[in-house]
Amino acid sequence: MALKRTLAVATTVLALSAVGLAACGGGDDDADAGGNVTMELWQNSTTGPGKAFWEKTVADFQTAHPNVKIKMSSIQNEDLDGKLQTALNSGSAPDIFLQRGGGKMAAMVEAGQLKDITGDISAESKQAVGEAALKTGQIDGKAYAVPVSILPGGLWYSQDLFQKAGVTTPPATIDDLNAAVTKLKANGTPIALGAKDAWPAAHWFYFFALRACSQATLDATAKSKTFDDPCWTKAGEQLKAFADTKPFNEGFLTTSAQQGAGSSAGLLANHKASMELMGAWDPGVIASLTKDTKPLPDLGFFPFPAVPGGQGDPAAVMGGTDGYSCAADAPKECTDFLNYILTKDVQVGFYKGFNSLPVNKEAQAAVTEPYLKAVLDAYNKAPYVSQWLDTLYGQNVGNALNVGVVNLLAGKGDVAGIIQAVNDAAKKG
Amino acid sequence: MAGSFLVADRVRAGGGQQPPPARPRRRGIGWAQRLEIAALSGPAILVFLAFVIFPVLLAAYYGFYKWKGFGPPTNFVGLDNYRTILQDTAFREALWHNGLILVLSLVFQGPIAIGLALLLNQRIRGRSAIRVLIFVPYVIAEVIAGTAWALLLQANGAVNGVLRSMGLGWLAQDWLANPKLALWTLIMILTWKYIGFAVILFLAGMQNIPEELAEAAAVDGASYWQIQRRITLPLLGPTIRIWAFLSIIGALQLFDMVYIIWGQYVASTAGTSTMVTYMVNEGRNASNYGYGSAVAVVLFTVSMTIALLYQRFVLRRDTDGALTGGQ
Repeated sequence: MALKRTLAVATTVLALSAVGLAACGGGDDDADAGGNVTMELWQNSTTGPGKAFWEKTVADFQTAHPNVKIKMSSIQNEDLDGKLQTALNSGSAPDIFLQRGGGKMAAMVEAGQLKDITGDISAESKQAVGEAALKTGQIDGKAYAVPVSILPGGLWYSQDLFQKAGVTTPPATIDDLNAAVTKLKANGTPIALGAKDAWPAAHWFYFFALRACSQATLDATAKSKTFDDPCWTKAGEQLKAFADTKPFNEGFLTTSAQQGAGSSAGLLANHKASMELMGAWDPGVIASLTKDTKPLPDLGFFPFPAVPGGQGDPAAVMGGTDGYSCAADAPKECTDFLNYILTKDVQVGFYKGFNSLPVNKEAQAAVTEPYLKAVLDAYNKAPYVSQWLDTLYGQNVGNALNVGVVNLLAGKGDVAGIIQAVNDAAKKG
Repeated sequence: MAGSFLVADRVRAGGGQQPPPARPRRRGIGWAQRLEIAALSGPAILVFLAFVIFPVLLAAYYGFYKWKGFGPPTNFVGLDNYRTILQDTAFREALWHNGLILVLSLVFQGPIAIGLALLLNQRIRGRSAIRVLIFVPYVIAEVIAGTAWALLLQANGAVNGVLRSMGLGWLAQDWLANPKLALWTLIMILTWKYIGFAVILFLAGMQNIPEELAEAAAVDGASYWQIQRRITLPLLGPTIRIWAFLSIIGALQLFDMVYIIWGQYVASTAGTSTMVTYMVNEGRNASNYGYGSAVAVVLFTVSMTIALLYQRFVLRRDTDGALTGGQ
C-alpha cells in the first residue's frame, strides 16, 4: 500500500471544515477542446491496487477524451515533495499532481505556481462533494485543489483486546478512557504511540485542544499564531495529566509511527498494543503490518472522547483531506480530469484501491468496513471539523508545535515551552 | 626524557639538515600544454563549480531571505536569520552537542584506536581476522548500522532483553530516549563505527616507522612500553594529527547516525541534536528554506574556521612544504 505514507503525511494536507449537501448524480463532464493535448500526472502510488486504480482512471479518461493523452508517473511518496518542488521552481512542473495542502500549498499559490480552478469545478462536482469539502482546496476564496479523500482522526483499537480486558463499550469520555487504560494495562500496552515522528504525539495535544478550545479560538489562533488563550494551556495540562498515567508503549519516543512491526501501527497490527490515535489512513497501514498483510479482523474505531469543561464541542472532529492540483500553465483539460476523479464510479474505485474514505458522498455509500463506517458516522455527526493543527497553523509553526509536544511528553519541557517554541518558530518563517 | 625525543627529532629532521633544494624556475609552457591542461582539468573544474561552489554561494544568498522554497525568494530580511540563529536555544544546544561529540570522539576513539593498532601491529594469532572485525563497522552503510542500533537499543529491544535474561534487569535502560544517557549512547555507537578507520590509519602510520629504531632502542635496554611511548607514539604524531583533523570535521558535520536513530524530532529532546539535524529540521521540516540556508552558512563558517585554525596551528609542521611551497 503505497498510499499509506501519503496518507500518513496527510497531517500536512488540506483540511475539511464540514460536510456538504447530499449529492445526486455525477454525470460525465463536458469534454471539448480541439486539437491534441498531452498532460503529465504525478501520483505517489507505486505498487498494488493504488497504482492500478490510477492506471485505470487515466485509461478511462483517455477513452472518454480521445484528444487527451495523460502520461502518468508513479513517484515514491518520500521523493514526491522534493521532486515536485524542483519541477515547479524549474518551470517543468507536471500538469496534475498530488497536493498535500497546508502551508506548502499556500507557498505554491504565493509563487504563482498553481492554476486557479475556481470557475472550472463543475456543478456536478460541487454537488457530489459539497461546497464545504471543496473549501479545503481554497485559499482566500479561490480554489487551487480538489479533495479526493477525507481522513478524520480518532482512536483505532483491537476489539479482541478490549474484550479480553473487560472494556465492553468504546470510551465516550476521558474518564472512560482512563478507566479503559487501567484495565488494559493488565494485558500489555494500552496505547501505541510513535513519537519518533513527532506528529503522532502532537495529535494527542491537538485533540485535547479541540475539546478545550472553541472553534472560534482555533480559527483566531490560525491568524494570530499566538497561543495566548488559556484553553491552550489547559489542553497541555490535560495531556500532561493523561500522559502521567503512562498509557503509552515503553520507549514511545524512539518508536516510529508506521514503519515495521515495532512501529505504533505495527504494535496494533500484532496485538501488542490495544489502541492508537491516528487518521483514517490507519487501517491500510495496520493491514500492511499484520502477519498475513491482511486487514486486522477485529479493528474498531471510536472518536476522541469528550473532555468535560472545555469550550470545544465534544463531538467535533479533526482531520484532513488529500487532494490534487493543476500547475499554473496546465491546459484546461486538467480541470476536466479533476472533475472526473470526483465522479462516483472513480471515487468508489479510489475507496477500493486505497481502503480510504472517498470524498464523494454517493461513493461513501459503497463503504462496507464497520470501522470506516464508524469514522463516517462520527464525521457526519460532527458539528464542525478542524484541520490538523500543524496544517492549520502552517508547517513552520506546526513543526515547532510538534517538537514542543514531544518535549512535554518526554518530561523535558512544560506547557509554557510549547507556547515559547511556537513563538520562536514564527520568527524563522 | 629529552634524549628520547631526539631520536624522533633527528628522523623527522632527516633531509632538513641539508640546504633545501632550489626550486626549479617556472618556465612558460606551450600552447599545446595549456590546451591539454584545460581539456583534462576543465570538466572537473566545471563540475566542482556547478555542484560545490555554486550551491554554497546560493545558500549564502538564500540566507538573507525569508523563503518557503517556492518561486524565487522575495522577502529580504538582511541578517535577521543570523540573529535568530544565534539567539535560538535549540541551536546553542546543538552546537554544544557538536562540541561534546567532538571532544569525546577524540578522547575515546584516539586512545582505544592506538591501543588496538599497537596490538595488531604485533604478530599475534588471528591478526587479520581481528583487523577485519574492527574494520567492518566502518564499511557498513550508516543507514544500516543506525537502524540496527536503533532496534537493538530500543526500550524493548535486544540489549535490554539480553540484560534481563541474564538477571541484570536493573541495568536495562531507555538507552536512546533518556536525555542523561542518549549522548553517551551516541558516542558509543560512533566509537564502534569509526574506530576501524582510526585503527587502519594508525597501523599504516606504524608501518612507516623504521623498525631499526625500535631494534636499536631494544639493544640499549628499552622495554616494550618505553619503545612505544618514546618512539612509536612520537613518530605516529603526523598520523594522529591527520586523524584528529578528520574526526573533528566529522564531528562538526555529524548527521546521518543521529537522524536515523533519533529521527527528525526526538534528537533535540534526547540531547543528541547537532548543527546539521538542526539545519534539516528548521529548513526542510519546517519549510523555512531561507532560515535553513543561513544555518548552512553558519555551519560552513564554523567548520571552515576550525579547519583553517587546525591547519595553521596543528598541521603546519606536517604539511610544511606540501601546502605552503617551502618555509
